[in-house]
Amino acid sequence: MKLLLVEDDEQTGAYLKRALTEAGHAVDHAASGRDGLLLAAGETYDVMVLDRMLPQVDGLAILRTIRASGVKTPVLLLTALGGIDDRVEGLEAGGDDYLVKPFAFAELLARVNALARRPPTQDVQTNLRVADLEMNLLRRTVTRGGRRIELQPREFQLLEYLMRHTGRVVTRTMLLEAVWDFHFDPKTNIVDTHISRLRSKVDRGHAGELIQTLRGAGYCLREPD
Amino acid sequence: MLRSASLRLAALYTAAFVAAVLVLGVVTVLTTRAALSRQFDARILSESAALVQEFRVEGLTGVSQAVQERDRTPGALDYGLVSADGRAIAGRLDEHRAIPGWSDLGLSQPDGERERIRVYTSSLANGYRLLVGGDDESIEAVDALLAKRFLLAIGGVVMIGLLGGYSLGRGMGRRIAAITGAAEAIIDGDLSRRVPEARGGDDLERLAATFNRMLDRIGALMESLRQVSNDIAHDLRTPLTRLRGRLEAGLGARPGPAQVAAIEGALGDLDAILSTFAALLRIAQIEGGARRAAFQRLDLAAVARTVVDAFAPSAEDAGQRLELEDGDPVFVDGDRELITQMLVNLVENGLRHAGPRARVRVRCRVEPGGAILAVIDDGPGVPDSERERLFDRFHRLEASRSTPGSGLGLALVAAVARLHGAEASLHDAAPGLEARVVFGHGGRTLPNPNLTVSGS
Repeated sequence: MKLLLVEDDEQTGAYLKRALTEAGHAVDHAASGRDGLLLAAGETYDVMVLDRMLPQVDGLAILRTIRASGVKTPVLLLTALGGIDDRVEGLEAGGDDYLVKPFAFAELLARVNALARRPPTQDVQTNLRVADLEMNLLRRTVTRGGRRIELQPREFQLLEYLMRHTGRVVTRTMLLEAVWDFHFDPKTNIVDTHISRLRSKVDRGHAGELIQTLRGAGYCLREPD
Repeated sequence: MLRSASLRLAALYTAAFVAAVLVLGVVTVLTTRAALSRQFDARILSESAALVQEFRVEGLTGVSQAVQERDRTPGALDYGLVSADGRAIAGRLDEHRAIPGWSDLGLSQPDGERERIRVYTSSLANGYRLLVGGDDESIEAVDALLAKRFLLAIGGVVMIGLLGGYSLGRGMGRRIAAITGAAEAIIDGDLSRRVPEARGGDDLERLAATFNRMLDRIGALMESLRQVSNDIAHDLRTPLTRLRGRLEAGLGARPGPAQVAAIEGALGDLDAILSTFAALLRIAQIEGGARRAAFQRLDLAAVARTVVDAFAPSAEDAGQRLELEDGDPVFVDGDRELITQMLVNLVENGLRHAGPRARVRVRCRVEPGGAILAVIDDGPGVPDSERERLFDRFHRLEASRSTPGSGLGLALVAAVARLHGAEASLHDAAPGLEARVVFGHGGRTLPNPNLTVSGS
């Protein structure tokens, strides 16, 4: 994917660029808001990563400007620690996701991948399918290998999110935000518990394990190799 | 002294009073003069009428006798009887040119000065004319007297105004100087300094009292800031030391699993430190109160259900039970995200401290005191003396020092409650602990606006 990274801190910018490049992305790095705005408005990217606080032109200003001129590229905003109002402000300005600094690189990578546009599919999806796991979004039913799986509403939401991000890494924080609407980190690892319950319903008694745990990163739902 | 606002004000008021007295004086003098003139004219007219009557009854001899008689009376008016050919027959007024009606004449005095007098001339039979007049000296005297008195009064007003202004200015000046002095002392670092407060309830006293209350508040904030800085320094020393130790161990270890474990441990320590910082910043931001703008009507019971659903499986895995009492919606105005985090903190607190096999209940309902959200456990509880302090930042029971947790969970609960005008408190649940948040404003079940708006 082609990414734009606007980050004014030299070391952070260089480190993120190297790591994202190693993860297989082509990265343009702008070290100031003005350069960032020029690139964002002039080039085409798959995902943009904007730091909120930048000298001269800040991240929100860039975001508002490009959104006003019709650029629909998904944008991930990086915000400072403790800024609890930043998320709302960032999403209102047209951001698609936000991440609080400091963050684990795995978290950034997972979110960038999740933001990238999927290949165009039918507009209204009523069925999700991964290997022999099938989810009917209208009837709210799940089957695996033709056998019906009974899920609690929250488990259904969790599985739906995983299936919509098939093959991509999904972090605990992403799940907390998407499934429970928790925008903070509880001390208890509730995600692991829910995932293991979901896994016991989805994977137990089946040959291939669909829900995989990636150490230090999160989870991934994909067809077994 | 001239820069003093109160003195300037006094001078301004004095000037205004002087102007008022001046206007009053001029009006009084003019009115008095007009009244006196009218009276004087009336006297002349009535004398003329009396003498004309005398002429009709007694003839020329009678009237000239009457005139001569009056001329001798001290304080009387001046008279004159003139024949048709201008000859003076009687009286001091021998002005032969006088034409009937009012006229002002100059009259030569014995001392050579000319005196202006006001004269009324009446025509008698056979061309005789009767003159009655007098000088209006007395009117001018009254005018002069009045003017003098008013000038004196103006002098008095100026004196009183200036003296009053001066003493007022000095009094005000002293009190303002006291406030300025206190402020200067505080700027110079004496934070305990206060403005002297006298009894009495004027605006300056109230200002001083408000000023002192503001200083108390600032003092309390400074104290809490100082304490927080101390607490941070104290509470972060342990994890930072541990982090350093791990990194040193990792540096010394051979590349391999031991080094990876050391680095992972260090990352864990770092995350704990960062989460402490995040919690502190979050509390500070909540206490700043800016979030109140994002308030919306929300159902506490729905929040409670989400939290219980999220935590019940982990509790179950740990051999504990987490349950939700009741189920009716309870509406309050608030910030969903913060209320959720508050409840999560209370639930995690309950599960962490109530021990294995504990039962933790979340209660959400409307009571006479308002909407309540409570987390009740059946664990060992907390001694009475310790309960209130648990809401302080970093305060932890000695018994829980060894368990994980930043000591900020309940401080955040208290901050969120305060933001919502709610009260957070801890109670003995015998056995166990009840953490209760009472939303006073949700005293009754508020209607859900979404139901009426959507109409679905």
